[in-house]
Amino acid sequence: MAMTTTPEAVHSRAEATYRPAANRLGLWLFLASETFLFSAFISSRFVVSGTDQPEHLNQGLALLLTLLLLWSSISAFRAEAAMAHDNRRLFHREMLTTIVLGALFLVGVGVEFNEALTDFPANTIYGSSFFMLIGLHAFHVLTGILALGVVWNLGRLGHYGSDNHWPVEGVVKYWHFVDLMWVAIYPTLYLFGGS
Amino acid sequence: MRQLLRAVIFGILGYLIGATLTWLVRGGSLGDEVCVVFGYVVGLVGWLFGIGMGDTWVREWFGLPARESDVTGWKRYLGFSTDHKVIGVQYLATFIVVLLLGGVAAMIIRFELAQAGEGILNADRYNQVMSMHGILMVAVAVAAILGSFGNYLVPIMIGADDMAFPRLNAVTFWLIPPVAIGLLAAPTLGSFDAGWTAYPPLSVVNNGGQILFVLAVTTFGLSSILGGLNVITTIVTMRAPGMTWGRLPIFVWAAFAASMISLLTTQFFAASLVLIAMDRVAGTVFFDGGAGGDPLLYQHLFWFYSHPAVYVMVLPGFGLVLETITHMSRKPLFAYKAVVVSLLTIAGLSVIVWAHHMFTSGMAEYLHGPFMFATEMISVPTGVIFLSAMATLWRGKLWMKTPLFFAMIWIFQFLMGGVTGIFLADVVTDVSLHDSYFVVAHFHYTIMGGMIFAFLTGIFFWFPKITGRMINDRLGIIFALWLTIGFQLTFLPQFWLGTNGMNRRIADYPDQLEGANLFSSISAFFLGGSFLLLIYILLSAARRGPKAGDNPWNASTLEWQVSSPPPEHNFSGQPTVVGHPYGYGTADSRHAEFAGMTAVGLAEPEQAGTGEGGDNE
Amino acid sequence: MDQDRRNDWIWFGSLWAIFSAIGFYLVLGIDLLPAQWAHEAEIVDDAYILLMGLSIPIFAGVAAALLTSLLRFRVQVDDIPTEDGPPVHNNRNFVRLWVASTLILALMITVNPGFIGIAELRGEPSADIVVEVQAQRWSWKVNYENGAETFNQLYLPADRRVRFDITSLDLVHSFWIPGFRVKIDAVPGRVTYLYVTPEGVGSFEDDFNLRVQCAEICGLGHAQMAMPVTVLSPADFDAWVTDLAEGA
Repeated sequence: MAMTTTPEAVHSRAEATYRPAANRLGLWLFLASETFLFSAFISSRFVVSGTDQPEHLNQGLALLLTLLLLWSSISAFRAEAAMAHDNRRLFHREMLTTIVLGALFLVGVGVEFNEALTDFPANTIYGSSFFMLIGLHAFHVLTGILALGVVWNLGRLGHYGSDNHWPVEGVVKYWHFVDLMWVAIYPTLYLFGGS
Repeated sequence: MRQLLRAVIFGILGYLIGATLTWLVRGGSLGDEVCVVFGYVVGLVGWLFGIGMGDTWVREWFGLPARESDVTGWKRYLGFSTDHKVIGVQYLATFIVVLLLGGVAAMIIRFELAQAGEGILNADRYNQVMSMHGILMVAVAVAAILGSFGNYLVPIMIGADDMAFPRLNAVTFWLIPPVAIGLLAAPTLGSFDAGWTAYPPLSVVNNGGQILFVLAVTTFGLSSILGGLNVITTIVTMRAPGMTWGRLPIFVWAAFAASMISLLTTQFFAASLVLIAMDRVAGTVFFDGGAGGDPLLYQHLFWFYSHPAVYVMVLPGFGLVLETITHMSRKPLFAYKAVVVSLLTIAGLSVIVWAHHMFTSGMAEYLHGPFMFATEMISVPTGVIFLSAMATLWRGKLWMKTPLFFAMIWIFQFLMGGVTGIFLADVVTDVSLHDSYFVVAHFHYTIMGGMIFAFLTGIFFWFPKITGRMINDRLGIIFALWLTIGFQLTFLPQFWLGTNGMNRRIADYPDQLEGANLFSSISAFFLGGSFLLLIYILLSAARRGPKAGDNPWNASTLEWQVSSPPPEHNFSGQPTVVGHPYGYGTADSRHAEFAGMTAVGLAEPEQAGTGEGGDNE
Repeated sequence: MDQDRRNDWIWFGSLWAIFSAIGFYLVLGIDLLPAQWAHEAEIVDDAYILLMGLSIPIFAGVAAALLTSLLRFRVQVDDIPTEDGPPVHNNRNFVRLWVASTLILALMITVNPGFIGIAELRGEPSADIVVEVQAQRWSWKVNYENGAETFNQLYLPADRRVRFDITSLDLVHSFWIPGFRVKIDAVPGRVTYLYVTPEGVGSFEDDFNLRVQCAEICGLGHAQMAMPVTVLSPADFDAWVTDLAEGA
């Protein structure tokens, strides 16, 4: 303990030791908190309308959207792994794939909303839950796409490397989370109950 | 200053852009609630961008280096500072102001209620003032202790140099001004008048001010969630070497438990408010009984947060009071481990008791018994807190300065709140007392008694650390007694009013209840007057109080081992924790040692790991 | 030293006894509760008084401990404190005893007045007459079984078990009769139930707590959303309700 220290030196040394753990824990806590938000809305759907479903549900489109998101999770995972191995080209490609898939998902949601407006508008009880849940999730997808875009751009500019890619890891974890929430919302709206 | 000005301009511009674009897209008028919603959201983004996110995060998102603020001195307090001590003081000052604003609303309420019949306010105005009082005070109760002392003390107490996410911390604070502006601007759209609970369908069909309430309170919830996240991460990852979980000062544990609640359950409040906003602006029917919706859904979502929120309010209060008691009676905290277990148990139980607010709501009757049972169970861990407080005092060396006075009064006040809570937890008596003035008196004893008194305990105890100056103790004790007497005289009659047929949230009441109401009102003005003395005490002490020195209470925890106020990175060397935080009465006990720094008042090191020693007799 | 410790407890015990005595006198000696106009009011008041009786010794105990500490353990400190209290970190048996006793107390009140009280208050789900109540900003409409209807007036027979079927057309209101000590919310889209057996003949003129008061905030007219309750003898009630139905 005889070393001479300045507060700044102590500060930066401490920073280096706790930063990775703090980032990870912070993200997990945020996701835990978000889980509560989604569970509030999902439970609301069951409280107000049980498992009732309207007649016209576009099951095909919903399944397609689910597959799009699942695929994008795989590509996001591959992008993260690529950066961990300093494979910039693969990172670049997989990141773009993820963003495009996410954008396609949003387009699909737009089509879905358009149909829903005539089949079960927001002033029906199923419509209320439908627009609320899908809207909330689409908002998360949108923020996810923006975050992916930022990270993709920074990765392209060479800000990350195999030993320094926390933002990639963080944003990909968030993307998996958004995907996971869809896996809960999809059966809530489309599969349970039924006509 | 520059940042603040920029934030205001960006905020206003954002509001105008958001509202105008919405208006252009959908027509209607600029004052429509949809325009307000989008205006507020864009304005909020503009505000955050202007205050400092634009200089830091947003620049980094585009690969540019961040521009850190180089402001020094008192101007730091008006800008985007990432220093946890600055943020703590920002919270402290903000919430003292909000507390006083809420207090003014309370005085208006009591003035109106001094006599039966319509006085200075008509029923509409009364409901608006009452709702404003409610939400302002709830905001104070939720964020004042955790925001100010949580930020200021937690990092120093665990031997860290800042919070885990300093920028996020600054954003957390700077989310508060838009909340205040949103709430105070509500009268421009016709104030909200549905109480702080905002039960639909009333909150769906009332004036446009309710939408600002929803937006502001949701923002506040976001701030609360991010604050909780930061506190937990800080405590888990940034403890100094040797600071094991068993050596954490009790306030840190209390902040941890409260942050856990606030991190997870606040989302339910946000959800319930978003549903109200959707019912108002997007035409959904969640709470429209006629279209298949269910008003009780809101009550379940709302109380799932708002009952635990009571513990977000009082758990940090427990921490402050127990800290003060152990230091000022110079005895180790009695049953430290049991207190920690109790704090965590309360946090756990708090999420399974919400429906005791709904015994008369028409909810299924088979739910009454279980929720009553769970609620009564909370009295067991709370009892342990009382035991610890009283047993720590017992045979201590009580140094009767203002903080200890407040802490001891707190025990009395919170006991009153707790015991009357039993009446409301019991279904049979609750059927009579629910939504009556008994409830009003009860939650003023718990929230004002349990939280504001703890907040004052904390202010008086840590004021020397934060400002480096001492408070006039004689005036402090006069204030404590004045406040306490005024408080009893104001709220004791309200228990009687509740049992004798006076319901909550009314501008007018039966003539037969006038005597007790007048008495309560006069006492309330007496109570309100004491806060003028508080302002005088704080301002005069901050300006010309005697110098405090590093450790005026000769206390053992880490924050007292550094200068007052603490230096920029808190410690000039890395502290190493070697023992129990409250080693009073044990000659060779020590809590921490410092590298590159001679610590104050610490003797020989003891053997590692015996911090928990010393059984009774 | 030992004598000193004993004196602490003597102080504490005496203060506890004194405070408890004062508390019992104040709370049980003075009639704090309004007149009872229903069978249910007796159940609620009994529970209230039982809880009061249990909380007084607890309250007195804490107050006694605080006052004893204040009087006997305070020290004069000149500059900074130098003397510490005894290093008592814990007393496991005492904590166990404390937790056990609070747990037993909590379980006791959960059973009585808790579960037992709920059972008594609810009683059998059977009623002599059914009265439908409809709340709407800011008034009450009452329908009786034979088609009679009143507006902002509630007439009830004494000693008959009444079931209220309550609903609301617009907002959440709450149907509270302070003289009966019972309350249930009126929720749009739902019917809520309340059983009550009025006792004694009287009206709003006799006791202002014989009124239905809205207890859930509902905007402008919330405070005024009340209707007087008149309890008639069963014979008078039957005559009254028949007259009203035929007149209508």
